[in-house]
Amino acid sequence: MNALIISAIMGVVMMFSGVLLRQRSAVLAVALSGLFVSIVLNIMEMYGFHLFKVNLNGMMHFDRFSLFFNTVAMGCTFIFLLLSAKEMEKVGLNYADYFALIFFILSGIILSSSFSSLLILFLGIEIISIPLYILTGSDKKNLKSNEASLKYFLLGAFSTGLMLMGITLIYGHSGSFAIDLVTTPETKPGILLIAGLLLLMFSMAFKVSAAPFHFWTPDVYDGAPTVFTSFMATIVKAAVFIAFIRLFYHAFGDIHETWKYLVAVITALTLFIGNITAVFQQSVKRMLAYSSIAQAGFMLMAILALNSVASEGILLYTTAYCLSTIGLFAILVKMKDYTFEGFNGFAKHQPLLAATAVIFLLSLAGIPLTAGFLAKFYMINAVITRGGFLWLVIFAVLMAAVSVYYYFRVIQAMYFKDGDAQLIEVSPAFKWAISLVAALVILLGVYPQLLFSWYYF
Amino acid sequence: MGITQILFWILSVMALFSALMVITSKNPMHSVIWLIIVFFAISGHYLLLNAQFLAIVNIIVYAGAIMVLFLYVLMLMDLKKETEPAKNRWLKVAGAMAGGSLLLVLVAALRKVDIENGIAETRTGDIGLIENLGTALFTEYVVPFEISSILFLSAMVGAVVIGKKE
Repeated sequence: MNALIISAIMGVVMMFSGVLLRQRSAVLAVALSGLFVSIVLNIMEMYGFHLFKVNLNGMMHFDRFSLFFNTVAMGCTFIFLLLSAKEMEKVGLNYADYFALIFFILSGIILSSSFSSLLILFLGIEIISIPLYILTGSDKKNLKSNEASLKYFLLGAFSTGLMLMGITLIYGHSGSFAIDLVTTPETKPGILLIAGLLLLMFSMAFKVSAAPFHFWTPDVYDGAPTVFTSFMATIVKAAVFIAFIRLFYHAFGDIHETWKYLVAVITALTLFIGNITAVFQQSVKRMLAYSSIAQAGFMLMAILALNSVASEGILLYTTAYCLSTIGLFAILVKMKDYTFEGFNGFAKHQPLLAATAVIFLLSLAGIPLTAGFLAKFYMINAVITRGGFLWLVIFAVLMAAVSVYYYFRVIQAMYFKDGDAQLIEVSPAFKWAISLVAALVILLGVYPQLLFSWYYF
Repeated sequence: MGITQILFWILSVMALFSALMVITSKNPMHSVIWLIIVFFAISGHYLLLNAQFLAIVNIIVYAGAIMVLFLYVLMLMDLKKETEPAKNRWLKVAGAMAGGSLLLVLVAALRKVDIENGIAETRTGDIGLIENLGTALFTEYVVPFEISSILFLSAMVGAVVIGKKE
């Protein structure tokens, strides 16, 4: 609750800072300090400190899992701002307003990670989505950005409509918005419950870009300004996954038998389409868009498994995925040419940045000693613990092998091809920051207990 | 005949007459204005049934927002009185089928209604009163109510960001 209030207030503060502060570095400083305060207050809430006494009427429940994820999400946003805030200046003139929108999105993320009422879920998802439509279209002079924004808005509004319809049907079934009251172990799934479940599943699958609801993803991620793609493909997607798993664990966990095959099929389809299409891409940005679909396939396995291994695993997976993708995008946004050829000879010009990029790519591909490997391991372990889906596990491992191909194409271009990779100027501070992120990825890969021991104590 | 019944008959005649005028008037602009009168008449019926909130929302949303949108579209399209486009024969068939289906559904739904005993409960029941709605909004649902302000604020910031001249 602390972080929710602070980030909502910070959104308003950022709006005014655009008028009151002339210098852009001052705006960034305000944003970073506000974010820092809300991270600290959120960590203090994990140990029982509450800034305000709010009677939530059971609409929200801030448990260990959601508070921990909020810390991860805000920490990743902090890293994202450190690495890429410079590039946000180039998008348009409303520098401070972009920060305001990002803070609003953060409050949406906090809502959707800690809801226990379907009303709050709806509000959270909408507070995440609406600023994202704006950020997607913030590069107003660029036709591709306009197109992406309109597409995202129309399809997003449509999927929100599906979600509302689903919530209505669930309300018709259980007579309450509380997610804990939707089903009990004795529930016989009726037509209202099943229809509501399907609609909610489809709209959530749309928001996390799971196949066959993924068609908006490549265009939107490709058309949006690259800094904002980095934000929406990582932190936002992770938050929606947390909402997805929370919804299905609390509301539909008791009727797991009725929907598990459908989720398994969606998972397999997402893995297949994401990985196979990513192979054929020529632009690294578009490849990363498809790779985010493929990674969503792995995260869907947590929803299929829905046990304690899965909830640990999804925390590790979102952390690992956010860190590596944010790092990779931070390098990509500095490149002049986004195609694979643009990376030719990158290692000769920028050995340090190339080395960090390799670490991020290895983590995304799931090579041991990086955080991505253990994250994938936890996901597969969760499904095996649940039992019954060995075919999916084998298929997922095969698809992870396919993903190595397109991630390694970037490494190959950087190290083994001659070329003149054009890069806009990078500061030493950027290099320090990105090395730190790469070190974090390695640290989590070698010693993941660091994350979990904090989670449990 | 009490005042409620007199009002009911006046509102019903008004609603039916305006509804007929919506589909018979040649000028689309007149149709839209007749439709607004239909909405007002129906809102009057809601008021008779003690559903204040529904009545107000019906006027605000339908008569206020949607009909103004209709009017704007008609003005922008600049439809003249006599330039009604010739209707396709298939379009007519499709329209008749859609209307017929609706009639079927209505007849099926209302077939077993007991008209003799089913008297409308005017001035009873308090579920539609604004007072109760306000109480629910500011006690049980106060958290989502306040949070929705973030949603509207972010939408407004977005509108400014998109709309501002650069």
